[in-house]
Amino acid sequence: MVDSKVSFRYASSLLGLAVEKKILDAVSMDIEFLKSAIQENAHLRSLLESPVVKPQIKASIIEEILSKGHTETKKFVRFVIDKSRENLLYGIASKFLELRDEHIGFVTVSIKTAYEFTDEQKKRLKEKLENFLNKKVGFSFKIDKSLIGGFVAQVNDTVYNASLKHQLDLLRVQLLENSSYIGQKN
Amino acid sequence: MAEVRPDEISAIIRRQLSGFESEVDIYDVGTVLQVGDGIARVYGLSKVMASELVEFPNDVLGMVLNLEEDSVGCVLFGESTLVKEGDTVKRTKRVASMPVGEEMLGRVINPLGLPIDGKGSVNASTYLPIERKALGVIQRQPVKEPLQTGITAIDAMIPIGRGQRELIIGDRQTGKTAVAIDTIINQKYTHSEEAKKLGIKPVYCIYVAIGQKSSTIAQVFAKLQEHGAMDFTTVISAAASVPAPLQFIAPYSGATLGEYFRDNGKHALVIYDDLSKQAAAYRELSLLLRRPPGREAYPGDVFYLHSRLLERASKLSEDLGGGSLTALPIIETQQSDVSAYIPTNVISITDGQTYLESNLFNAGVRPAINVGISVSRVGGNAQIKAMKKVAGTLRTDLAQYRELEAFSKFGSDLDKVTLRILAKGARLVELLKQDQYAPMPVERQVISIFLGTNGYLDSLKISDIKKFEKEILEYIELKYNHIFETIKKEKDLSESLIKDIRKAADEFLSTFKKR
Repeated sequence: MVDSKVSFRYASSLLGLAVEKKILDAVSMDIEFLKSAIQENAHLRSLLESPVVKPQIKASIIEEILSKGHTETKKFVRFVIDKSRENLLYGIASKFLELRDEHIGFVTVSIKTAYEFTDEQKKRLKEKLENFLNKKVGFSFKIDKSLIGGFVAQVNDTVYNASLKHQLDLLRVQLLENSSYIGQKN
Repeated sequence: MAEVRPDEISAIIRRQLSGFESEVDIYDVGTVLQVGDGIARVYGLSKVMASELVEFPNDVLGMVLNLEEDSVGCVLFGESTLVKEGDTVKRTKRVASMPVGEEMLGRVINPLGLPIDGKGSVNASTYLPIERKALGVIQRQPVKEPLQTGITAIDAMIPIGRGQRELIIGDRQTGKTAVAIDTIINQKYTHSEEAKKLGIKPVYCIYVAIGQKSSTIAQVFAKLQEHGAMDFTTVISAAASVPAPLQFIAPYSGATLGEYFRDNGKHALVIYDDLSKQAAAYRELSLLLRRPPGREAYPGDVFYLHSRLLERASKLSEDLGGGSLTALPIIETQQSDVSAYIPTNVISITDGQTYLESNLFNAGVRPAINVGISVSRVGGNAQIKAMKKVAGTLRTDLAQYRELEAFSKFGSDLDKVTLRILAKGARLVELLKQDQYAPMPVERQVISIFLGTNGYLDSLKISDIKKFEKEILEYIELKYNHIFETIKKEKDLSESLIKDIRKAADEFLSTFKKR
């Protein structure tokens, strides 16, 4: 819990800086790159978490990874390592991307469908959702045969359920209402 | 079972289906991070409210108790084995609540208001939250109507008023539940036509069983039914086998149901049997939620747990209809230790306490009420005048008796005055003995105490007293019934009435002695 608080502090200050200097796109590209690098490379992860490795070595490795990055990003990473918070880099990166999405009004919607949507359907769904949420929408699609039909969209914690399976579940509850079955089970 | 025709069934299904709407359903979800021991930690549910109900898979309900920065602590009202890590949790957007209404009378329900007596669903339309704030000062008025328990010792010396909170405290096997059940049975009179004529408003009863054996609850239910008390009573059952969270909320459900009657200008009586078990259930789930333990490992807010519950008992002002909610909490002590944590807490919250003692119980004094240390701080205002007049000397007589009782054990030669006090005290103690499930109407209590305090029993053998009491009451009912009627109507003892009672008593005493 303390970790997430710390990550939030670092991430929000980096976001503030990037917005102020109008280099948000460049910085977020770097951070995205850094995040995927840490995510995909187990060696890098254990290196960052290891207290045995000297901070200078960690800094030089990260700097090499970010060699094409913006100077502000490099400065920020060096600062984080300086404060010996390099083990939180991944958390800071994810938090930063979350905060950036919120800042520019972008949400990732995870969509579950019973069958693959056509491009036309995807386009129409996107239009609908953007209008409805008043935000830019990015998708991540998943196929779940158990839904039978329709789709389920999830934005953060809120679910928009238009699947056939859910309708059937609701029907079950409605039919069981006024019967003593539910009461007896408890 | 009644015969069911297939065409009827399909008609029912068709009707149900026609009302079914298919739209996009919008709800909030979270994911179970960890589950066990009736507690689930949930990630997500970012907008959830404290004490909101949440839905887990397999029809398990939960209640949110802890709101933390990155997780939510929930207690489960069902089997925790039915919930797995990674399951989806749904918000219901309603704070834990229960259906209330007259439909609940005669039913056995669980603390969430779902019937468990197999008599079908309850069609109550009103829902009230289980946790409600107690009323303030302006909405209340002092207790003024009596709540007759039908137990002579209580009604005479530790009177309970409507809207009062009177603790019943004692060791195991001292008859705590018996006192409560007798009180419920005695409320049957308030529902009669006669009581209506005399202006006595009916009292609806709620019996909340917490952490008891299911068989015990079934016994209580059967007894209430046998005495026709289930018509105006609801039993809320949170047996020892149900999860601790349900035991924890059970008294609050009882209070909510009672408040429904109170707020509609009616009178309700709710019995919490017992709060020690509720405190233990709350301790269990507090420790599982990792709240820091305090004295006797109870969490820091265990006082608030009981004070907010008992503070809901009240007598409403006339502007609000003058309804009342009387609470009779029960506490079980260990080895008569009233200085344990929970007993001291509840003693300090309530408006008085009735002590039941096992040595009295074993000596055959039943109900085993120790009248010396039992008090009622507000009930005196609610006693009827007739009872006040006769009971005034009863307390002091018994106090004197107890003081001298120790000496009598030495068997040494005592002076006449002492012997008289001892004889009278022993007879009064005998007079206050009462059978279970045999509550006594107030007019009879008045007469029998009058006889005791005015020396009519002094010439009788102690073993004859109960018989004498029974027979003289029958005699008065047959020959001088106006005595009972007048006490009921005027609620006072006039000089002429006292003369009549004395006359009847003298008459009967002489015939009784001849036998």
